[in-house]
Amino acid sequence: MKAFSDYHPLVLLVYFLSVLVAAMFVNNPVIGLLALLGGILFCIMLSKRSEAAGNIGFYAPLFFMVAITNPLFSHNGVTPLFFLNGNPVTVEAFAYGAAIAVMVIGVMMWCKCYSAVMTSDKFLYLFGKAVPKLSLVLSMALRFIPMFKRQTHKVSRAQKSMGLYSSKSFIDKIKSSMRVFMAMLSWSLENSIETSASMKARGYGLKGRTNFSLFRFYPRDGVLLSVCAVLLGVTVAGIITGDTAFYYYPRISELTFTPLAVAVYAAFGIMSFLPFMIEVKEALKWKYYISKI
Amino acid sequence: MKKWLSYGILCLLIPAVIIGGALLFGDRQYAWISLCVAVFSCVPFFIRFEKSATDIKRLVLLAVMVALSVVGRIIFTPIPGFKPVTAFVIITAMYFGSEAGFLTGALSAVISNFYFGQGPWTPFQMFSWGMIGLLAGLFAEILKKNKLVLCIFAVVSGVLYSLLMDVWTVLWADGFFNIERYLAAIISSMQFTLIYAVSNLIFLLLFAKPIGKVLERVKEKYGI
Repeated sequence: MKAFSDYHPLVLLVYFLSVLVAAMFVNNPVIGLLALLGGILFCIMLSKRSEAAGNIGFYAPLFFMVAITNPLFSHNGVTPLFFLNGNPVTVEAFAYGAAIAVMVIGVMMWCKCYSAVMTSDKFLYLFGKAVPKLSLVLSMALRFIPMFKRQTHKVSRAQKSMGLYSSKSFIDKIKSSMRVFMAMLSWSLENSIETSASMKARGYGLKGRTNFSLFRFYPRDGVLLSVCAVLLGVTVAGIITGDTAFYYYPRISELTFTPLAVAVYAAFGIMSFLPFMIEVKEALKWKYYISKI
Repeated sequence: MKKWLSYGILCLLIPAVIIGGALLFGDRQYAWISLCVAVFSCVPFFIRFEKSATDIKRLVLLAVMVALSVVGRIIFTPIPGFKPVTAFVIITAMYFGSEAGFLTGALSAVISNFYFGQGPWTPFQMFSWGMIGLLAGLFAEILKKNKLVLCIFAVVSGVLYSLLMDVWTVLWADGFFNIERYLAAIISSMQFTLIYAVSNLIFLLLFAKPIGKVLERVKEKYGI
């Protein structure tokens, strides 16, 4: 399932940032719930089925922990349920705790999707032009990581075949890993200097050099970007006019359903479910083509 | 002219983003402001780094140090909190200066979160590790000479990291700086603070000398 992640990185970044900022900072229960639901559905599409049980086991306790601890720290609100050590435990604080829990889990879900969709190559493509030196350091570091792992493996096997540190004692193990690490460090520093010499020889940083990239901006990327812009515009309009304003303290305010507020909920709902809908559409298309064979 | 224009845009854009967000997001404004501060405080360092005529050799060495600290974080995944990242950041700062320290810290956070998951905590980790690198660079000479100072710095940076991350926890959960929750967060994360401090101490005592020797040698050999 990767229909959504095939869109242009710029579109994906704009999309994720708008959803994340709205989910994180707009204090409205409807928007929070929509973000949470959209995030969960998208996450289900992206992750394997075997991970589901583990995820529920992690997020459900987290939800209750965040929701229930809030009244212990916050004594705002005007409707006390009972008193604990002379401090009121209020309905409002419970409601606020639940809202924060929805927000926290929703944001975590979206961040999980972000990590799965915005892989490091897309990240580097986006920031490569704006910050060329930093993204060079980033991409080299990313390339060094698997190289280091391989080299560590090689060095330690060589050490073992020489018969060094073959006993099972703990001190011996630490000593041997220390030795392998130092060998690796010297090797990687020397190796990297060689790389830099080679880069210089090939004219790195000279004027007129171009970069290779796999990403192209197709018409469908433009369509998705404009759809996002319109939906975001409606959402921001609702926040500015205060139609979606919502307060927990001192007394829980009522949800407003002015035409603009309804429009905002609809717009943000579409935005939040967009990746899920795209994935489902692609899955159905795939099923349809398969059935024709 | 172009340079001044870009600085002007930055000087207008940053306050505009912060104030706009604060007005827009009402009672979650402190979380927004803190996130903005964490992100934007890294910007001047990045800009300075981009503008300076840095040697390719330095760039590549920086990449090696970042990769090493990330690998360290990956290797020690099974033990929560026990990570060599801070130690590597401090060592880099000791031998390559404040700027390199800040960048190693900030970039290690970004890259290791490609493996551990990006989130709203990424800018705060960038900021915290970066600041530790910056500080270590300022005290580089005395850290190299005096082992006791190094030990104290290791413990302090572990505590500092924990305290900075707790600020983030509180701002995110409450929307404002709730001192009661901050104290509770400090107490409940006490064991992690301890593990951070101890792991920094162990890794610095183990690695500061040998890695320092290798780095000094490379510096001398290739004239960096």
